[in-house]
This record gives sequence, structure tokens and C-alpha cells, in this order.
Amino acid sequence: MDAAHVHNGHGAHGHRNTGLMRWVTTTNHKDIGTLYLVFSLTMFFIGGLLALGIRAELFQPGLQFWQPEFFNQLTTMHGLIMVFGAIMPAFVGFANWQIPMMIGAPDMAFARMNNWSFWLLPPAALLLVASFFVPGGATAAGWTLYAPLSTQMGPGMDLAIFALHIMGASSIMGSINIITTILNMRAPGMTLMKMPLFVWTWLITAYLLIAVMPVLAGAITMLLTDRHFGTNFFNAAGGGDPVLFQHIFWFFGHPEVYIMILPGFGIVSQIVPTFSRKPLFGYSSMVYATASIAILSFIVWAHHMFTVGMPAATQLFFMYATMLIAVPTGVKVFNWIATMWKGSLTFETPMLFACGFIFVFSIGGFTGLVLAITPVDIQLQDTYYVVAHFHYVLVAGSLFALFAGAYYWLPKWTGHLYDERLGKWHFWLSMIFFNVTFFPMHFAGLAGMPRRVPDYALQFADFNMISSIGAFGFGLAQLIFVYAIVKCVRGGEKAKDKTWEGAEGLEWQVPSPAPYHTWETPPVIR
Amino acid sequence: MIAAPEGTEVARAAEFSLVARRNNSLTHAGRSLVFVFIFAGSVGIAAAFAAVGAWLILPFAGIEMLALYLAFRCVDSHAADYECIAIDGDTVKVEFFDGGHVRSYQLSRYWAQVTVSRDGGRLALRSHGRELEIGRYLSDEQRLDMARELKRRLRATG
Repeated sequence: MDAAHVHNGHGAHGHRNTGLMRWVTTTNHKDIGTLYLVFSLTMFFIGGLLALGIRAELFQPGLQFWQPEFFNQLTTMHGLIMVFGAIMPAFVGFANWQIPMMIGAPDMAFARMNNWSFWLLPPAALLLVASFFVPGGATAAGWTLYAPLSTQMGPGMDLAIFALHIMGASSIMGSINIITTILNMRAPGMTLMKMPLFVWTWLITAYLLIAVMPVLAGAITMLLTDRHFGTNFFNAAGGGDPVLFQHIFWFFGHPEVYIMILPGFGIVSQIVPTFSRKPLFGYSSMVYATASIAILSFIVWAHHMFTVGMPAATQLFFMYATMLIAVPTGVKVFNWIATMWKGSLTFETPMLFACGFIFVFSIGGFTGLVLAITPVDIQLQDTYYVVAHFHYVLVAGSLFALFAGAYYWLPKWTGHLYDERLGKWHFWLSMIFFNVTFFPMHFAGLAGMPRRVPDYALQFADFNMISSIGAFGFGLAQLIFVYAIVKCVRGGEKAKDKTWEGAEGLEWQVPSPAPYHTWETPPVIR
Repeated sequence: MIAAPEGTEVARAAEFSLVARRNNSLTHAGRSLVFVFIFAGSVGIAAAFAAVGAWLILPFAGIEMLALYLAFRCVDSHAADYECIAIDGDTVKVEFFDGGHVRSYQLSRYWAQVTVSRDGGRLALRSHGRELEIGRYLSDEQRLDMARELKRRLRATG
């Protein structure tokens, strides 16, 4: 008897590979989401170890552990690994797990491409980490890879360029998948303005990625051809312009900052209403604010380079455009607070991290406003004030949002409740040690301590010692997170389908743990 | 999802028919609009950089837009996919429309048998050594409902 027609979805039931091959060949969005999350956690710890190497050296003035060349490799690779290896893949992991479940789709639109998107990442990460072991070591030009420094370095720089190319290709494939999934596979009745905020923020993030990834790819390819093929894009001696690299890099780099924070906004916008037991205040204004932030991100790039020398009118434009971003961001913070206002609040770990996010991210936002003021920025350029600012945005912003999301959806992913006591320990230790690490950096920066230096004047010794103690405390606190996850995966109290009393959304209508296949036929949203 | 019987020739002519279509939340026009929007942004940025000498961004934007175009085209080509089962007189007609390709089968109404797994995970029509799996766009419950309805209709005289 011949089967004239075999189902795509149903034919695949029960034909899952087991063991290692399950993970290599999987096209299931949940499996791929898990792969992304495990990968990003691994890279988070590698990047974290590099950070501890930096802080160990800066514990006291003088050179204790590393030569300056290696110290610069540590700062560069810490940045690259955290941005491209930890934060970005973690959000893609969340997107893979959650978006299909939240919009009532059976999987991502292009399941095989999804597998490819992930499996490009481990070789890229290997290239990055392996670059420490090539002659001359890893690239030490800073994560911004500024020319002409980056055109002069050893083969470690080439490895970093190849790694970034591969990671960029992965991001582009992921973005195409996310856009096509969200636009074409929403359940009947789920109009755009009924989509969960997390899905909205990812749709806009995917657009940003598609818009700016070719810019990064072009920039690093021009670096490569300048290094090896005799071109002079950024070589002033050959008629090129090193400042052009900065323009190109930051045209990519500033939207990249929002690529790393917008999905975090989405996660917090899911969590705050759940634990306030109220609908999100100002849903449509949240959507428009997200879109506004994305649009504005294209016209503020030169605030990263006020000191290169630009006309006063240009400086003013970029200063005011940057300040304008505070408006939609303020709308978001206002809406989160308004959602909590008169809500029936409880503070489980996801809510703690979400509140911590709002508080500490706002501080990062305020210091961003300070840095937007051109004359102030000219003073603070390349000081520890900038380091404090972007860590308040990226650690307490992106990372805390990721932690919040992980605790929020962990019961749905594993079918078990996580250990609330461990979660709370993780939050409070992270919150305290984060501030111990990065708050003193504001003072060190205001006092004039430059970034990317392994040694410093005695006047900065106390601030640096406090920061280093905080950094080791923060690093150790993350082991609690790993333990909490492992414990939750291995067992624990059974999670209900709707784990959180105030949770709304399609993902809470499927069993916990979410079955391998969900929403094979779309639900109807009313 | 079971739609009204309009839409296919087979369905229109039949005494009884069921048409199941895949879910699409964006129309062809919507997809075109989104593509043009993304294309204009990405290529516009790359062209602006090319104008100031950074022309190597253009080929990457081009490759990316090609990938996006192929992805949208693939989605588009499957947007109209459907399955149609029509009972008309002595025959049962089954039509699959998949990515622009139509496959049609005719079974004898008196020999056709409906087989369905207990959980509704698999539904098929069987006749003369041939089995056609149907119900690709239906839920397990809908497949069970459809199996009941088909059995009833096949038993009834045309």
C-alpha cells in the first residue's frame, strides 16, 4: 500500500533522533531555543572569566598579573564574547522558545534554517576563543575594532573578523525566520495589536538586525581587505579615512545596543503585568515607543564619537537626537510603573529581577543622558564613567531582563517550579554586587580614570578595589543561577499549566512542560 | 481549519465538500509591502555608505535581501495551499494544492474507507491499495469530527 500523501508535521511525530544527534539535527523550535540558551550561558561564563581577569588586574595599581597587551586582549574579547556570544544568542533562545508558543504557531517558519542559524555559532565562538592561542594573541583593538589599530594586529584579528561574519550570518538568518514567523504564522484573530509585547519587541529587533548587520559585515570586510589586499578604506596614507570606520561601526553599533535591550523590554512587559495582576498599562504606547526607539537609533550614532572633531551643528544634531530617545524610553518606564500602581503585587524572582531592571536600567538611562551632552561627553569620553554607563544598561538592563525571563518561563520549559529561595538569593546578591562593582566606576570616571588601562594612578585605588570585590561577588552569585537551573531541570514541584496566577497569553494554555509539538493547528483568538 | 466549500472547482461542483486551508496571518499584498519596506531601508543604508566610499556594504545588503526575498517567496508559494475532499455521485475526489502544484485523486465512493487513529493524529482515505493521508491543516479533534462526517457521507447513497 503506497502512502500517496504524508503529513509534514504528523509524519515527523515520534521520529526524533536521540542522544547527541537529536541536538545536531533538530529542527524543533524548543530544542533550538534550549541550544541557544545553553550556548549563551556557556559564553556568559567564558566572558565573565575574562572580566574577572580584568578586575583581578585592576584590584590594585601596578601590573600584578598581565602584561598590558594581554590586558587589552581581555577587555576586547570580554566585550565581543558578551555582546555576540552571550546577550544576543540568549535573546534569540528566548525568541525560539517563546514566539511560536505566544502567537499560536507550530514552529518557526523555516525550521531547517533555524537549525543552521544556531549551529553556525559554536564554530564562530571557537574561532573567537582560539584567537587567544595564535601568534600575537587575540585582537586587542577593543570590541569596536577601530582602525587603524585593527588594521595592524596579528592573525587574532582575522579570526575575530571571521567569527563576526559567521555570527552576523547567523543573526540575519535568525531575523528572517523571526520576521516571517511573526508576520505569517500568527493564530487567527491575533492581530498585530493583540500580539504580546515580547513578540512586538522581537519583530522590531529583527528589523534592526536586518538593517544593520550588512553594515557590520561590510565594515569588517573592508578592515580585512585593508589588512591583506592592499585597499585603503581606512588608511589615511593611502587616501582613506579612519574616521569613516567609526561612522560605519557606530551606525551598526548604536542600533546594536537596542538590539540587546528591546527584547529585554519585551520580557519585562510580560512579567510586570503578571505579578501586578493587571493588564499592561498603555499597550499601544509601548508598541509605538519601541518603534520610536528603533527609528531614533539610526540617527544618533555619532554621539559615540564627539571627540573625533565634527562641526558644532552636527554635534548639536546628535546631542538633541540622542536626548530625544529619553522620551519613548520614559514612556516605557512610566507604563511599567503605572502597571504596578494599585496592582496586587507579589515579588517572586522574575518580578524582583524585573523591578531591579527598571530601577538600575533607569540609572543607566540617566547616565546616558549625561553622556549625550556634547561638552560633558568630551570630558568623559573613554573614562570609566562610560564603562559604568553601558554596564548599567547591558548588565542590569539586558542581563537582568534575561534572568527575569529565565525564571518566568523556566516552569513552562522544564515542567518544574524553580527553587524560589535560590532565585531570591541570586537576585539580591546580583543586585548588591552589581552596584558594588559598577557604581564606583562613575566616580573613578568622573575623577578622570581612563578605560582600557591595566594600571592607574593611586588616587583611583579605592574605587577599583571596591569594584573588583563586587565583580568577584557578582561572578560567584551567578553560580547560584546555574545551580537553580540544574535543580529545576532535574526535578522539583510540578508546575501547573498556568504557573503564575496573573499570567496571560497562549504559552500558559499549553501543558507544563510544553510538549515537543504545540499549536499544530492554530488556536482562535477572540 | 475547515473553510466554506468555495474556492476550488472540485468543491463547487460537488454535493458535499470540505476545504481545509493553511493559516496565513499576512496577505500577499502585506508581504510585498513588508519586503519593500525592509528592502528600501537596507539597500538605502548600503547605498548611502557606498556614496561615501564604503561600497563593500552593498554586496552584503544585496545577499541579505536575496535571502529575504527567497524566504518571502517560499512563504508566498505555500500561502494558498489547501486540501479539498469532495463527494459527488459515485466518486470521492481529493485535491492537494501544495506550493503551486495540484495533485488530484479519485476514489470510488463505494470502496473508499476512512481510517483514523484513536487520538485523531492520522486520518486517511483508503481504496484499491492506495492510501491518501488527509487533514493536514486540522487539529486532532477536527480530524476525528471529519472522519465521522466522511464515514456518514460515504455510507449515504449519492
